[in-house]
Amino acid sequence: MKNRFFENLSAGSFSILLHVALFALVVSGMDFQSKQYIAEQPKVDIVQATVMDEADILEEMTRQQEIEDKKRQQELDRQAEIDNKLQETEQELEQKKQEMLEQQRQAELEQQQRELEAQQKQQEIEALEQQRKLEEQKKLKIEQERKLEEERKIKAEQERIAEEERKQIIAEQRKIEEEKKRLAEADRKAEEARKLEAEKARKAEEKRLAKIAEEKKKAEVKAEQERIAKEKRLAEEKARKAAEQAKRDEAARLLQESLDAEARDREDKRIKGLVNKYSSFVERRVKRYWLKPPSAEKGLECTLQVSLFPGGEVKGVKVIKSSGNAVFDRSAETAVYKASPLPVPTDPKAAAEFKQFTFTFRPE
Amino acid sequence: MTQKWLKIAASIAVLLSWQAQAELVIDIVGGSEAALPIAIVPFGNQGPTAPVNISEIITNDLASSGRFDPLPKRDLISDPHEKADINFKDWRLLRSEGLLVGKVSTEDGELHKVQFQLFDVYKAQQLAGMRYQVPAGGLRRLAHQISDQVYQALTGEIGVFSTRLAFVTVVKNSDGTKRFALQVSDADGANPRTVLQSKQPILSPSWAPDGERLSYVSFENGKPEIFIQEMRSGRRSSVAAFKGINSAPSWSPDGSKLALTLSKAGNPEIYVLDIASGKLSRVTHNSQAIDTEAVWMPNGKELLFTSDRGGRPQIYKVSVDGGRAQRLTFEGSYNSSPDISPDGRTMAMVHGFKGKFYIAVQDLQTGILQVLTETGRDESPSFAPNGRTILYATEHRGKALLAAVSVDGSIHRRLGESGTDVREPAWSPLRK
Repeated sequence: MKNRFFENLSAGSFSILLHVALFALVVSGMDFQSKQYIAEQPKVDIVQATVMDEADILEEMTRQQEIEDKKRQQELDRQAEIDNKLQETEQELEQKKQEMLEQQRQAELEQQQRELEAQQKQQEIEALEQQRKLEEQKKLKIEQERKLEEERKIKAEQERIAEEERKQIIAEQRKIEEEKKRLAEADRKAEEARKLEAEKARKAEEKRLAKIAEEKKKAEVKAEQERIAKEKRLAEEKARKAAEQAKRDEAARLLQESLDAEARDREDKRIKGLVNKYSSFVERRVKRYWLKPPSAEKGLECTLQVSLFPGGEVKGVKVIKSSGNAVFDRSAETAVYKASPLPVPTDPKAAAEFKQFTFTFRPE
Repeated sequence: MTQKWLKIAASIAVLLSWQAQAELVIDIVGGSEAALPIAIVPFGNQGPTAPVNISEIITNDLASSGRFDPLPKRDLISDPHEKADINFKDWRLLRSEGLLVGKVSTEDGELHKVQFQLFDVYKAQQLAGMRYQVPAGGLRRLAHQISDQVYQALTGEIGVFSTRLAFVTVVKNSDGTKRFALQVSDADGANPRTVLQSKQPILSPSWAPDGERLSYVSFENGKPEIFIQEMRSGRRSSVAAFKGINSAPSWSPDGSKLALTLSKAGNPEIYVLDIASGKLSRVTHNSQAIDTEAVWMPNGKELLFTSDRGGRPQIYKVSVDGGRAQRLTFEGSYNSSPDISPDGRTMAMVHGFKGKFYIAVQDLQTGILQVLTETGRDESPSFAPNGRTILYATEHRGKALLAAVSVDGSIHRRLGESGTDVREPAWSPLRK
């Protein structure tokens, strides 16, 4: 119930507000139409806007509006009528005034026209005079130009004739010149031909003489060559004979040498065989007697020179290159002494090899 | 043509003559490593007979080295005592390379004049010769010194006959108790002197590099304890008596430190003791394994030791400053008790094979291992100071005794078969 109450209340409030707004709208709308009538508008009384039905409001509004419009239109019509009458009077006055002014102006204009026409006529006459003078001047100038042209043409013709004459003279001079040259050339050629002939003759003479000299020389050279060849042949023959003899001698000598060498080789081989055999005997025997010291480290090496008596007995031992280890060196020396006498070949040549020789001792 | 032929012929002739003149060269490669024959003539004696037979000691020394073959006495063709008496030709017939002669004279039986001369028989040259004056008590040692000189002159190597051996003897008393003695003898095992006696075990003697002090382990106080003892004065001091094991002392090459095995931290580890300051530094840190038997490399910077860190005893190398140990032995399942040659190249050790224990050497460069002995109950190898021989303990007919083998395994001998058990040998350094 309470809500409904608020609804009704608010509905009522809304209608009042709407009326106010509509009125305001009507008032403001009138403002646009005519300002000067605002003061005369009846004031809108809000108290009259009691709670009404909305349709009633609209109807009332329309009715009021119509009354207002009618009143206003009547006023307007009245005002317009007054204005028109006033305007008509004013226009008549103005028209009369204008007609007077027009008449005055027209008179002025006619005067001016007359003056202007007189002036124009004078000007035309002056212009025509000017025109005539110009024509005359023009004709005069043309005449002058024609004369000048004729003079120019005559002068040109004269110059052309002069030029042709000059050209003719030059051509003639050139002809004379050419003729001169031709004659000189002919002379020169004749002279040259003469000289050539003389030269030919001289050369032929020279050639002839040279040929004679050459033939003579050839004969001499040939004679010399023959002489040399003969000498050479003789020398060669002599050398060949000598070489053949030498070759025969050399062959004989080589044969002998070869025979000797072969014999020597056989002997050398025999001796070498013996030496090798006994070297091996000696090596085995010395090795057997060699007591290597415990301090004999790998890498030691000593070289001994040994001399023997003919029977192989050790005559002397000399360290010629020490191992650096005195005990090792001595052990090698002792080995050689202990192995004495060493086995040596009986062949004197092979035995000679063992007269003095070298031992090297290495621990391993 | 002719000239060319002549030239060729000439060069052939030159070549032939050069060949004829070139001296014959015979190469001898190899030779024998047999013992060197030497004639040792008994020394002449003037005045009262000397208490020791010098030439006999020398003969034994040289023969025992395996490098000499002394001529039997009966083959000596004459008995010269100095160069004037020698007919070298005669001695050459016997093929002896060296000839040693000498004489001893004394007036009072106490001060002895001794002289010797060694000759190269084939060159008739003297190789060595000296004169000495010594008291009777010094004659044995002098004989060994002469052996050293002969050895060096003929082999080129240092002789070690005048060095000493340290070892421990064990005598069983009739009541079943044992008597232990730390002894020092000549290098031939003769002339033993007792350094220390105890009813409790004595172990691991180690020579100081000066040859004047010994370090060892003694149980005399009921537990293993390490001592240092001066040889001349007999003064001794305990240097390690920590809780647990104190064992396996080894002198550093400069004599300032001892490498030890101590279990004071619960497990046997290698330590280094600075002798002067008593300061200890631990070298190994392997609580799972036994690390023991350290020996110094000659450079003084590394130690060799035995460890079972790999499951079985093997030999390792470690820096004295500690760090990672490098395993050296890979052949066989048991290798222990390392010793190192003076040149640092060869390691001696006990090598186990099928339940038996042998002395072996390993070349540290090539890693090649060679077994030197055949006895099968060998222990405690110790290098001679010339690196040629290894002394070790072994058993023969139920007796513990000492034996020596050359590094190449070619020469074997037993020492001092006295009837008592002998163990824990240590070869002394060279006498200075």
